[in-house]
Amino acid sequence: MDSLAHYARLWFTSARYSIMRTLMFRGDFFVWALVELFWMGVNLLMVSVIYQHTATVAGWTKYEMMLLVGTSMLIQRFLMGFFWSSIFEMGRNIRSGHFDFYLAQPGNVMFTATTRKIDPDSLINSLVATSVVIYSARQLGLHPGALDLALYVLLIACGVIIHYSMLVLCIAPAFWITSVQGIEGSYFTLSEFSRLPRQAFHGLANMAFVWILPVVVVSNAPASILLHGFDLQIVGWLLAITVIWFTLAVVIFHRGLRRYSSASS
Amino acid sequence: MLATLNKYRAVFSVGLQSNLVYRVNFAIRGFFSFFHLIVVFILWSAAYTGSSVIGGFNFAQTFTYFVALIVVQFMIGAFNEDYQISEDIRNGLINQFLLKPVNYFAYRFSIYLSARLVTGLLILLPVIISYPLLKDYLVLPVDLWRLGIGLPALVMSALIQFGIAYCFGLMSFWFLEIQGLVILSMALESVLGGQIFPLDLMPEWLFKISQYLPYYYQMYFPVAIFTGRLNDPAAALNGLVIQAGWVVVILALGQLLWRRGLRLHTAVGG
Repeated sequence: MDSLAHYARLWFTSARYSIMRTLMFRGDFFVWALVELFWMGVNLLMVSVIYQHTATVAGWTKYEMMLLVGTSMLIQRFLMGFFWSSIFEMGRNIRSGHFDFYLAQPGNVMFTATTRKIDPDSLINSLVATSVVIYSARQLGLHPGALDLALYVLLIACGVIIHYSMLVLCIAPAFWITSVQGIEGSYFTLSEFSRLPRQAFHGLANMAFVWILPVVVVSNAPASILLHGFDLQIVGWLLAITVIWFTLAVVIFHRGLRRYSSASS
Repeated sequence: MLATLNKYRAVFSVGLQSNLVYRVNFAIRGFFSFFHLIVVFILWSAAYTGSSVIGGFNFAQTFTYFVALIVVQFMIGAFNEDYQISEDIRNGLINQFLLKPVNYFAYRFSIYLSARLVTGLLILLPVIISYPLLKDYLVLPVDLWRLGIGLPALVMSALIQFGIAYCFGLMSFWFLEIQGLVILSMALESVLGGQIFPLDLMPEWLFKISQYLPYYYQMYFPVAIFTGRLNDPAAALNGLVIQAGWVVVILALGQLLWRRGLRLHTAVGG
């Protein structure tokens, strides 16, 4: 219990520092918030253009699809807001040797290195993503109960943990191959899949992106709770893969940490 | 004249060599594009289950469009030219060009050409290898006029691509950080340049407006000619004229920014 309070205190200190930084560079905050808003707009525009020409995509109607895209954006905004900057910098720090700094900090290295910075611009935009979800739900005439909403929140949290784990796994190779740059981008490519409905995947693609990699389930599971109500199978599945992927990330990260030899002089 | 050409030929060959050194970066880019293509394939094939014709085109025609877009992107797309120019300015590396008889625009353009020659040829490899898999979904119309108008359109698209990146890079004379601006304009480009969906699927009025914007001529225009989304030679010729107009405007803007920017620039250090 004590250690939990300790980590909460560590996190709040970093968060306060990040917010102060943001207040110092207000122009930057504004531009980046706008950038994210714009990209979300691009995704919604794509949905509405496609639905101008067809009534369903893999059995999903326009607002069901909007709800899915909104859910996927919500998870992504939380990931960007809470972890992206820290994890992205972690890759660079491992390559440059600045990672030493984290080894000397009081607490678990994985925790301190991945939660150091938060991005308030992404967190603000999570409100926009939430409105997209609410708007779509209203257009569909959905009235989810308290339990469904609680489950939705739980599954979103699972989604953030899974994406966090995938991102750590995308960066962790830096411990072994310090020369390769741009591997961070592989995460974004994977996240593109999370805006697609699960029913659109067949054969090999179904195997790869639905069963092996969790990218599709992560957004489809919470969306389906809102659309079709509680489903034990879906909730159980997501909880199970959350545990699996998080464990995998922790194990690989610590393996890598042992390989870390510090590059600085 | 010949001496000038030789100068930039040297730059070109240096650019060629450095691009061959960084082939891993290319491999990574190619890999991402391949996954993007899978997303496109899954999304659009799902959309076509709802209706067999979208905007007057079948699935193969739409998929061909997206494949052609990626190939053309590797042939003429400006990847990080804006960033490199911005770095040159911020690090003071441009100072050396102010002292030597080397035109910075020509220098950068030579490097851009050599880089696109490498990536443009390399991207053909995965296309050729995956051709047996893709051939059922690829349909290219064969008309002579498409070549006659499409090739000059492609060249001018390259000029627009590079010109826009050049202008953004030069913004560093005024702003410390251009990354935000670049990504903001990338979002605009990706929509109005046809990377998210073929532009002709947009509502009619928006499609009309887009034809007067430079984004339309960055990539969509030549791709639309080659893949048969644009089927009227007269309209294509008309587009070629507008495109030429944008080339002039953007290159002139680049010159203007360069002159104005240099007045602000303070060369520090040696």
